[in-house]
Amino acid sequence: MRKYLPLIRASYMVSLVYRFGFLFSIIGNIVYLGVAYYLWKSIYQGRDVLNGLTFNETFLYVGLGSAIFILLKTYADWIIHFEIQQGTIATYLTKPLDFQLYSLFTNFGAVLMNLTAITVPTAVVMIFVFKVQVTSGIGLWLFPISLIFAFLISFSIDFFVGLISFYSESVWGVTATKDIIVTVLSGGLIPLQFFPEAMQKILYWLPFQAVYHTPLMMITKADLGWGTFLPMLLLQIAWAIILLIASRLFYNQAIKVIRISGG
Amino acid sequence: MSLIHIENLNKHFKVLNRREGLSGAFRDLFSGDYKTVEAVSGISFDIEAGEIVGYIGPNGAGKSTTIKMMTGILQPTSGVIEVNGLVPYYNRIRQAQTMGVVFGQRTQLWWDLPVIESFKILREIYKVDEKTFKQQMEMFNDLVGLKALHMQQVRTLSLGQRMLCDIAASFLHNPKVVFLDEPTIGLDISVKAKIRSLIKRLNTEHKTTIILTTHDLGDVEALCTRIIIIDKGKILYDGDIKKVNALFGAYRTLKVQIDNFNESTLQTLQEKIVNHFGVDKNLTVAQTEEFWTDITFDQALTPLSDVLNFVMKNFSVLDVRIVEISMENVVQKVYDGALG
Repeated sequence: MRKYLPLIRASYMVSLVYRFGFLFSIIGNIVYLGVAYYLWKSIYQGRDVLNGLTFNETFLYVGLGSAIFILLKTYADWIIHFEIQQGTIATYLTKPLDFQLYSLFTNFGAVLMNLTAITVPTAVVMIFVFKVQVTSGIGLWLFPISLIFAFLISFSIDFFVGLISFYSESVWGVTATKDIIVTVLSGGLIPLQFFPEAMQKILYWLPFQAVYHTPLMMITKADLGWGTFLPMLLLQIAWAIILLIASRLFYNQAIKVIRISGG
Repeated sequence: MSLIHIENLNKHFKVLNRREGLSGAFRDLFSGDYKTVEAVSGISFDIEAGEIVGYIGPNGAGKSTTIKMMTGILQPTSGVIEVNGLVPYYNRIRQAQTMGVVFGQRTQLWWDLPVIESFKILREIYKVDEKTFKQQMEMFNDLVGLKALHMQQVRTLSLGQRMLCDIAASFLHNPKVVFLDEPTIGLDISVKAKIRSLIKRLNTEHKTTIILTTHDLGDVEALCTRIIIIDKGKILYDGDIKKVNALFGAYRTLKVQIDNFNESTLQTLQEKIVNHFGVDKNLTVAQTEEFWTDITFDQALTPLSDVLNFVMKNFSVLDVRIVEISMENVVQKVYDGALG
């Protein structure tokens, strides 16, 4: 495993080269926070609690949701797509590296960069400009752990989509569809509590909510306790393991395509 | 035992028969109409440790396919392939530890980072110890002045500098065998010379086996003692470069631009040349690019000045170029039985 660690540093440094991009991401995200603030403010007009969430909790959920969205946005699907299409994957396959682990560690570096450059500033703006309050509780401690598994799930989905390039020349449509499905069905755009009850039950068992809803609940309802959080966390860990293995199996299958029919 | 052992190796690709136009593209979506392309068919050879072998052939000959099988990226359809006693595609990661690969068309360096960072990353990937790393970096510096490039971003390097760095990087972990796929592609003569001397030095330094694929016969002449010529997936020649050199080293192609060139000119030229020099002197006339007529001949049999004089006297010539024989010409001549 040790030989993969420098990849984290390398991709962190690569991200640093494009620092101007981050400036725009931060500005864009602050604008989004402003829009979300006034939108939800008007939805909450005259009401204290909607679907069990106060305005403060909803805004925390939606605002941090956008911060996590940017945190996990590493374009892994696109990068893998281009590596396959342009054949650069051959340069990794001739190294003593496993391609999935190579991608995972490279992505982790990009996530760390997003964390320091965008996610943390967004959180600071939320606390000091929009004055959101965070209740203390066990959830606050579970939040970072949950984020790690959210990353593993999100990476596996991206890796999976990127691998489709082995079969199809274009992944644009698949990527766009995936982005929409993941953000909407995961609570990344609207808190899951606002969905119809029946749908919530279905979504609970899908992997998408584990990316956003699980960590976001831990921070908005931090005081809920183990009874709520433990099953959520276990489900998330289960999904992370299932998806890592599933994308591994898909990779083994996909790599055969180039091995047998050429790159 | 030889370092690389290949016996009756085959690689067949299934390729969709594509149809024309938009409607054709739609029908292709559901088509089961495949044809088999034999990229490599029935090749065998052995390569000993420390050799530099030129693996040459025209575009689409099957060179890269063979390299990809030797590096474990591609699985052969049938046949035996062993590198270092291991089957590459079953032991890809273990094998990669003892291999270096340079694909001339793409880089293995981190595009956005300074050169030295790529070397540091590769050092950890290949688990090169501190002492060896220092020694290797010193050697690269002596050979190509690598230190001056350490802090430069890879993307800002010239193609030649990048290639020197790429080649150095592929030797960092002291591999047993290095595959260089078109390392001089797109480079000018002086840079080519630099690259060739680097490869030569790296080969002698640690007795590294090198397999070089190239389009440029000059590369092979400068570096290899052994040459394998492949075309359409089959080996045409495998042996000493001297024999090839003796045959083709003296071949030159005289390119002339003839004023008022028309369809009959080529034929007239051909007839006149055959009449003047005789059939046995083996002069060939062909047109390979617009406006230019190629006359290929053996300097050992016909002096260049004779050919030039003859053409100048009989035709109104606008421009002249003399080039060494091309890869395609060599392959054609081997087909015609030149190497017996």
